[in-house]
Amino acid sequence: MPDAAVGAIAFVTLLTIIVGARGIRVARTPDDFMVAARQVPPALNAAAISGEYLSAASFLGIAGLVVAQGLGALWYSVGYTAGYLVLLLLVAAPLRRFGAYTIPDFAVGRLGSRGLRQTATALVLVIGWFYLLPQMKGAGITLQWVLGAPYWVGAATLGLVVSCNIAMGGMKGITFVQCFQYWLKLCAIGIPALVLLIAAGHHSSPNLTPDRAPVFTRATVVSVTQATGFTLTHSATATVTGLLDQRAYQDQAVGLRAGRHVAGAGTRIGFAAGAPVPVSLAMEPSSSDSWDSPFLTSSTGGAHPLAATYGVIIATFFGAIGLPHILVRFYTNPDGEAARRTTLIVVLLLSSFYLFPTVLAVLTRMHAPQLYLSSDSDDVVLALPGQLLPGLPGELLAALVAAGAFAAFLSTSSGLLVSVAGALSHDFMKRGVTTFRWCAIIAGGIATVAALLIEPFSLALLVGWAFAIAASSFCPLMVLGIWWRRLTRTGATAGILVGGGSCLAAIVSAMLGAAASGWGAVLLGQPAIWTVPLAFAVMIVVSLLTQGTVPANVGQVMLRMHLPEALSRQAYRTAGQASWHAPDRRAPGP
Amino acid sequence: MPEQEPEPGDIAPGRQRVVWRSDQVLIQRDIPGLGDLRDDTSAGRLLVRSFVRAQLGLSLVCLTFALTVTASFPVIAAMVPAVGRTTVAGVPLTLIVLGFAFYPVFLAVGWFYNRHARQLEARFTHLVDPASRRPDA
Repeated sequence: MPDAAVGAIAFVTLLTIIVGARGIRVARTPDDFMVAARQVPPALNAAAISGEYLSAASFLGIAGLVVAQGLGALWYSVGYTAGYLVLLLLVAAPLRRFGAYTIPDFAVGRLGSRGLRQTATALVLVIGWFYLLPQMKGAGITLQWVLGAPYWVGAATLGLVVSCNIAMGGMKGITFVQCFQYWLKLCAIGIPALVLLIAAGHHSSPNLTPDRAPVFTRATVVSVTQATGFTLTHSATATVTGLLDQRAYQDQAVGLRAGRHVAGAGTRIGFAAGAPVPVSLAMEPSSSDSWDSPFLTSSTGGAHPLAATYGVIIATFFGAIGLPHILVRFYTNPDGEAARRTTLIVVLLLSSFYLFPTVLAVLTRMHAPQLYLSSDSDDVVLALPGQLLPGLPGELLAALVAAGAFAAFLSTSSGLLVSVAGALSHDFMKRGVTTFRWCAIIAGGIATVAALLIEPFSLALLVGWAFAIAASSFCPLMVLGIWWRRLTRTGATAGILVGGGSCLAAIVSAMLGAAASGWGAVLLGQPAIWTVPLAFAVMIVVSLLTQGTVPANVGQVMLRMHLPEALSRQAYRTAGQASWHAPDRRAPGP
Repeated sequence: MPEQEPEPGDIAPGRQRVVWRSDQVLIQRDIPGLGDLRDDTSAGRLLVRSFVRAQLGLSLVCLTFALTVTASFPVIAAMVPAVGRTTVAGVPLTLIVLGFAFYPVFLAVGWFYNRHARQLEARFTHLVDPASRRPDA
């Protein structure tokens, strides 16, 4: 059916591969990348950063979660943007002046310790893999929606394309490609949002007419959270567990006639592919209330909404600082001042982008409510154009959305896989381009296999968890490392291990369903609310206990991080004998 | 100290005459500067610390403002449930606040921070580097 969408996805993928193949000559080692990208103007660099940053969660996940859970899910888009403001305020310029381009590089340059380096590298792998999973899931559901292919096909395709592409040397230093990805994503979500807004505005809700009934493109289980009345346009057979039309079923096949039905709270109705999508007649008023609520209760079973909301706020506001694939882009700014300007432009670009998932989610809520009866709402952005605009225009818009979504998976997972493979090959194996290539393939393979296990979890939730781990491990390391001269390597190592470890443990137990309600669900499902303060506390207390090991060159390092470049160059000219751990990768100066 | 006219003819061969302005002599002698940073004297350390502290203060002021504006919304909505249910011209207030209103705040805070961070750096450069004060430098 959607030939246009298949074509668009193939086009984006082929474009990426071709540019990647060219990249073999352009960028081979990180150093080539850096030198080539030194003089990137802030606007271009900011678009490249945004292009790499906006992932499956931003493109599909937020709108899906808003449709399913309510407006409180918009805290994710607010937080993903605010993360860059926090990054600007606390680390952007000093980090550029420091001159490290991975987080382990920073840790070693600032505190000088091999053990710390390996701890940091292990955390890069954890965060990188965690962040890769939702990209794979996004690809899985996109191809599922476009081709009707099984979920694993999309995940495996993305894993294969990205791993091979990076192994060939592509997507690495090509600022221009990432910049192009940003504008592609903005258009791919902005144009459909505006067109659909206009289309929906003209004739208020013509698209729920029964004679143009949508059908499920794949077997779908509809979970009814609150008692809901719905209609079916023609009869269908469904597998029902729970209360339907005041009769209780237990995993039974039920023939449903066309017309009105009432499902009780907690009922699960499994529809086969080709069955009509139930049209919700009236959402219950209580449900409508909760949709307006500013709280976020996904993953916590509705318990303690205020605490859960603050968990998301802390994780997303402070997580961006600790993402392993973002730091390297800051090094392409000529100096600290340019890094600040770049970051401000990133905030602007992200703010512009995030207006559109909101628009799409609200349109879905208003005009295509059947989409949120489906339990897996991550594909609403893909499904909406076809629902609101019948025929060719809707198909073309859907194709544009699918292409933009694929661009999002490709660019983010490429950046992540470069970080993961770089960390693997650099710190745990013998260095070299060949090792790096193998590591890219291995890391991509692991992520693809793991992605098959996480299908039930929402995209925005998965990415939020990656942010929570970053916020409870690398965020304290960067913030304290930049602003606090008494940080020691023992303190930093302890903080990363305790904060990152407890956060990871909480998330894994939440995924396994350790606690479904009450405080347990909140503390495990949104762990940032306690693991981030814990990581800061451990790092500070242990550092104060080990003051004997404060690096001798801390004064020099502070000077270099905080002084404007012109000044620190002069201060260094004669003080150059001091030991300096971070390799100076500046291009040779005059 | 009045400026003296250089008199030609009284330099030994191989030497060069250097002309100091009176205010420059004062700066070189009395104000801690680049030399102190370079030699890591206590004055130099004090200078760098106070500068870093000023930068951190600016960052924290901006961060506190941004966090107060955004993170107070859930608390307010929890204490006054009516806030979460308010609509403005048929649009839920939550949608306006979370969907649109915070982004301009972030941009304004970022712009304010960049401006003032740049000024702080320029002032510090002025303070420690006499060369940057010389009108001809």
